[in-house]
Parts: sequence; C-alpha cells; structure tokens
Amino acid sequence: MRGAFPSIPAAGNHQVQPPHPDHAPPTAADHARADVLLDLDAVSITHDGATRATPSSVSATVRRGEVVLLLGASGSGKSTLALALNGLIPQALPARLDGRVLVSGIDTATRSVPQLSRSVSMVFQDPDAQIVTATVLDEVCFGPENLGLPVETVLSRAESALRAVGLWDRREENPDRLSGGGRQRLAIACALALDAPLMVLDEPTANLDPVGITEVYRALREVVADGRHAVVLVEHNLDEVVDLVTRVIVLGTNGSVLHDGPVRDVLAGRAEELLTEGVWLPVSTLAALRLRAAGAAIDPLPLTVGELTAALDRLDELPELPRPAPPSTPPSAADRPGPDDRPGPDDRPLLRVTGLTVRRRVRRRERTLLHDVSLDVHRGDVLAIVGTNGAGKSTLLRAMAGVAPPPPGTVQIGGDDVARLDPRRLARDIGFVFQNPEHQFIRATVADELAHGPLLRGVAEEEVARRVDAMLERFDLTALRDRHPFLLSGGQKRRLSVGTALISSPPILALDEPSFGQDRARAAELMAILDELNAEGTTIVLVSHDLQLVADHASHVAVLQEGRVVAQGRTDEILASTVLDEAGLRRPPLARAFSPLRHHEQWRSLSRLGQLP
Amino acid sequence: MSAADRGEQAPRGFLHGLNPLVTLAAPLPAMVGMVVVRDLATPALVAVAAIALILIGARPAPRVAAAIVIGIPVAVLVLGFSFSLWADPAALTASPAIVHIGDWRYTQAAALIGLATGLRVGALVSLALILGTSTTAATLVHAAIQHLRLPYRVGYTALAAFRFVPRFAVELELIRSAHRVRGMAEGRGPIAWLRRGLSAVIPLLAGAIRHAERVALAMDSRGFGASDTRTERTIVPYRRRDTVFVIVVLATTIVLFAVGGAIPF
Repeated sequence: MRGAFPSIPAAGNHQVQPPHPDHAPPTAADHARADVLLDLDAVSITHDGATRATPSSVSATVRRGEVVLLLGASGSGKSTLALALNGLIPQALPARLDGRVLVSGIDTATRSVPQLSRSVSMVFQDPDAQIVTATVLDEVCFGPENLGLPVETVLSRAESALRAVGLWDRREENPDRLSGGGRQRLAIACALALDAPLMVLDEPTANLDPVGITEVYRALREVVADGRHAVVLVEHNLDEVVDLVTRVIVLGTNGSVLHDGPVRDVLAGRAEELLTEGVWLPVSTLAALRLRAAGAAIDPLPLTVGELTAALDRLDELPELPRPAPPSTPPSAADRPGPDDRPGPDDRPLLRVTGLTVRRRVRRRERTLLHDVSLDVHRGDVLAIVGTNGAGKSTLLRAMAGVAPPPPGTVQIGGDDVARLDPRRLARDIGFVFQNPEHQFIRATVADELAHGPLLRGVAEEEVARRVDAMLERFDLTALRDRHPFLLSGGQKRRLSVGTALISSPPILALDEPSFGQDRARAAELMAILDELNAEGTTIVLVSHDLQLVADHASHVAVLQEGRVVAQGRTDEILASTVLDEAGLRRPPLARAFSPLRHHEQWRSLSRLGQLP
Repeated sequence: MSAADRGEQAPRGFLHGLNPLVTLAAPLPAMVGMVVVRDLATPALVAVAAIALILIGARPAPRVAAAIVIGIPVAVLVLGFSFSLWADPAALTASPAIVHIGDWRYTQAAALIGLATGLRVGALVSLALILGTSTTAATLVHAAIQHLRLPYRVGYTALAAFRFVPRFAVELELIRSAHRVRGMAEGRGPIAWLRRGLSAVIPLLAGAIRHAERVALAMDSRGFGASDTRTERTIVPYRRRDTVFVIVVLATTIVLFAVGGAIPF
C-alpha cells in the first residue's frame, strides 16, 4: 500500500531529500527546519476503489505556533488528509498514499502510528470512541504510559493537560459523566499529554451542542496560547474558530490546494471564489456578501459575529429589508391564539401533547425525563425541539411519534390517541426517522425496504410497486434498488430512511437529530429534502442541536430544559429573545450578530440568511 | 460495572487492599470443593463464611450488602425447591413423603437433595463475590499484567471492550424500538421472537464494528502498542498480607470442610 514511496523524484521544485532525514547527521538546513513540524510533499491519497486521488498533490509546510484551518468542498479530502498526518493512512485505513508526509522531519511511512504519536497527536470527531479507561485521570495517563514514560512524568503531564482544559477537579470521575463538550475537552487533554508538537483535530465539534462547541474552543485557545504547538484543524463551525486560526489551506473539489494563506486574505479576499467552489464560509461572511450584493458598502468583509455587528453599525443606512414572506401556513397559524380560545375545527392542531410526563428508571433510580409537557403542532409547521444534551428532546420526540408509547391521553394525532394506535396504523399518521438510519433497516434490498411498510398494511402489490418506484426516483436510489441497505453510502442510507418513513404518505414526519455526525454537505442535502416536503404540505417535527439549522428551516421552536418546555413559539420570536441563553444554549451566529446592533432597530430580531435583502 | 467503575466513592475494607489475584485464587479450592460435596452443612458453612468475609472485608454499600445477605438465602431456597422438583422420584421411593397430591409425592429426600444443590450454588456465588465486591476489572487487569505476564495489549483491549457493553445496551434498545415502529413486532411465539432477535443483530454488529474501528484508531494514535512494555502507573503489589490471606483462607476452607463432614446432615 505504500509501494509508491519513494519512487517519486517528481515534484520538481522540491529538493530530493535523504530517505530518512531523522537518522542523518544534523545539518544547518535541518536546524533551519527545526520549527517545521509538518511537511507535505506532493501528497495524493487514493481510497481503495476510488478512481482519482483526493487530496491530490498537496504540498505545504506548517511551523510551530501556526494554527491551520483545513477547508475544502465536500469530497475534497480534507478529513482524509488529516488522517494521513499521523500515518493512519495508509497504515490502518485502506488507501494509497503517494508523496511524503514528514512530521518533525520523520517520514510517516517509516514509523508505526503508535510511534508517531510522539510527534503528532489526534483528536477525532466522536468523543465516545476515544475513551478507553474508567476515570478522567487514567484516560489522560493512557497515552504517556503507552510511550513508557516514568510515572512522575506521566502524572505531571496529566496534571498540566487536565488543568489546561479545566478538568483537573474532575479527574476522579468516570468520563461517561462528562457532557459531550467535557468529553471532547478530555480528548484534547489526552492529545496534549502526549506532548507532541503537532496536534491534528478532525471535526472536533461536529457531535456537540453549541455550549459544548464553545467549551472546546475555549480549551483549544488555551492550548495554542503559548505557541509551542502547531495545530491543524478540520472544522465547519467557522464562526467559532476564525479568530483562533492563523492560516487557511483550501482544497478545491479536485483535491488540490486552491489557496494557502493568512486567514483574512483567504476567507475575506477570496470569499466569492470559495463560495462558487462550494467551500463553507463563516455565516457572518455569507451574510455580508449577501448585503453587499444588495448594495451595502461592507468593506472589509467580516469574518466573525462581532465584526459583522460592527460593520453594520458603521453604516448609516442598510438596504431595505424585504417584507416578511407570507407564511406558507394559514395566517391564523402564524399568530395563533392560545389553546383555550381555539376558534374553529380547521385550526385544531394536527398533533397535540397535553400534560405528558415520562419517568424512567435509570440506574435503579426513578428519574422524571419529561415534566408535564404540553405542545401543539399545526398542519404545515416545521417544529424544532431544542435543548442541551439530556434535556429530554429525543424522549419527547419518541413519545410524540409513539416510538416509545406515551401514557394514554397525552399525545393525540388528528384526534387519535397515540397510545392506543397499533404500529401499522401509527405509520400512516406519523413517519419516524431515527438518528442512525441503520437502526431501522430490516430487509435485504433497498426496494424491499421501501415496500415493507405498505405490504404489511395490506396495500395491493401493484400500488406498492408504483409507490416504491416513485420513492426510488425521488430519492435518487433507482440504480441501487437491489443493493443491501447496509451497503449504501451514508447519504444514501439517510435518504432511504426518509423514504421508508414517507412511503405511507404520513402527514407528519418526525426526525431525531437528522444532522448529527454528518458532514455539512450531507446535512444540507437532507434539509433541502425536508424543505421540499414541507412545501408540499408535510408537517415536520425534528430534534436538533444545530441552532443555525433550526433558524434556517424551522417555523416554530420548542425549548426544553431539564424535561420542561421553557418556551415555545415562532422561530423568530424565540431567537430574538434570551430564552435560549437561559436554557443553556447559544443563539446561532446571525442572531448573535444582529441582536446587539446599536442602530438599525428593525434588524435586531433577524436570525437567518433568508430574511436578508 | 462495580461502583468504582462508575466513579462513585467505593467503600473500602481490607479486601480492597489485597492483590485481586489472591482474592481470585484463594477461594478456588473451596469452589472446587463445592462441586464435589453432597451434604448440607459444608456448603452452608462455606457460604456463611464467605458472606461474613465480604461484609467485614469488602464493606459493600448498604444496598449491595442487603442484596447479598437477603438475596443469597432467598435464591438458595428458591433454587433448592426447584431442584427438588427435578429430583428423580423413582430413586427416592423409600423416603417419607411431606406432601401428597394424588399420585405425586414430595419426599423429604427430594427436598434435601434440592436444598443441598441450592446451597452449593449459593456458596459458589458467595465465593465468587469475594473477588467481585473487592476489586474492579481494571485492577484485576493491572494485576494480571504485572504478575501473570498477561500481554498488556490483550489486557487493555479487554478493558476498552468492557466499556462497549453499556453502549451496546443503549444501541440495542434503540434498534428494537426502531424495528417495532417498522412493524417487526408482528407475530408471537419463538420463531417470531428469534426473527426479531436476528434482525437486531445485523445493525448492532455493523455499529459495533464501526465503533471498535474508531476506538482502535484512537488508541493507536495515542501510542498504544508503541513498544513492548508500558508504564504501569497503578502498581498492584504482592505483599506478605496477600500470602497470609491465602494461607488463612485455605486453612479456613480445610476446617470448614472438616467440620461440615463431621456434622451428620
């Protein structure tokens, strides 16, 4: 798999280096390079079975003190490149690496991954998949112990690493007791304890709620403050990181380096170009670009929430705001009255939760997961249920959809008591899409999977075949109809799971964390499908921790805190109020940028790109 | 998972200060003995001694202590009665009957055989709990690596795998509810039950393999396996008191078996 090395004397502008520079006697050039912690020389990576290399022919050096953000369009190979930096590619993952990766002067092809951990540490996306031991302290000690360091060194490194991320006081605890953000901070401490000069983070906040994201970046700021490390970061929550990053490397769709330079030069200077290339920009920058196109003289482009606020306040006049789009739902649904003075039968909620309390035994103790929750969902709504981890969001959604049967009389869909409906009937009223699509696949082919529900309900075979074909067509799965569902790609699995929920044409679709652990492009693809369904009349209820996604797509929001609904209402109103902050959440970037505006009063309640001119 | 694994403050008695390998090894002769003996007194004495040792030596939390003190005798009686129903009645015709129901006789001999079996199971469980209440999986693995030359790669991989269990329980629950929603709940009886079970296995395995792969990558990236030895921060020493413990437990075992043999039932 690494046969291609060192047969490439190709990269013409690079000097041919000795095959094992770390073994050669030090030269003056080596000393000059001492601060080069990462040296990529024409690196191309081809996944097994792929026809072209992504990334392709990437050359770059990263020095001590630099914080490099690796950006790229979906499929440009930025995560792949990150995995090559400590030798996991090609040593542990099936892919071919051409070119050379040098960390602290060591060719990754000449050492095993564990040995390279002295030079480069990694933080991965899933905090749960990085924990091995039973206490926080043991966890941080695990790496240094593997390197065979003396016990005193292990402990002193563990202490300084845990102090850096603010977990020293919790060292005796089981990592499971930490929040998502806490566990990811622990993963950073574990990387720090290896004392490797280069740290690589691959989407470290993709699985976290907004507070967790903030926590992780506060910890990372602490790490880079002393300038002893070089950091390479793959991240899509750009608004959180731009003021931390010193340099950006952008990979184009073909996998080669599109831009490499200081963060402001690249993100602000090349914003339009990056946008057309499909590279993600900070939401603040996107908003400014949009305003610029509408005639606002914003220069330079803002990269952070604070800069956007300041840029708008500097302008005396802003382009006129578009009139709010007429709500797609009947007007009465928009400013709907309280449940007590419901006017007519047409205005009755499609799904109604009244006084729902859910208790469950957790570790031999009775815990109340939901306290007396009441909630209405009207036809055509897109309701987002938000809250911190453990607030009861998924429990509520499962009870609403009858996945975990609620107490009788507490959940009604179109007047039917969900607790009394059998699963076959329920599937016609509400479709449920699980967080992990694999959990719900039960048949051996894509077509059978789609046909399963209607056949079970006794729909005539011809009709089933017609619907299956329509669904395959709609979700772009026709060519894969005989494939086993488990062999689909991640995005295809997600589309199939939505298809199986939709095939009985239920009026309501419920989705549990549809964007969790997915890359941005795939999440956007799914949200586009949901927008389309909603436009066709499907009512949608979803649970999400991504508040910008909620701002962009939801018509209504219910905020849960410790099992209680602390607020519910129209998305704009919820985002403009302080209720999210009070519930331990953070408002999405645009809401944070607009609400503190000193001028332009009517702009303060805006929260999504779609509302801008 | 023991209390310490959950990060709770574990109550500590002198058993916690011993090398877990001796709390594993010392009761072994008595456990083998339980397989051989047939009387009532010996297993009863052994069980009482083992439970006393746990209560004094491991000082379990009140809830655990209650479960042991009440749970084991109850389990012995329930098991004893169930076993007595299985005893071959033909072999026991000579024995006086306690209960007649038509032709069926519940004999004294059957009751005694059942009780003896129940007591032996109870004694075995009590002996095993000496280890179970006084140490954690991690300490046992540390001790095995340090004193039994268990390769650390095996030991730590086992510990990492140990963490999967609660995760899989949650995942299985999710898969079950997902399948129920999809209409897999159809049908009763063992075949439908088996089908439901099997259909949950594939997604569980797929998820497990992916998770294990990620954990393995993370462990590699943190230097796991970088060299043949690894710093053991937690030294699990073998001290004189460990030898003393083994000798005392063995001596007690011999005495209990002797006394038990002398008692005529």
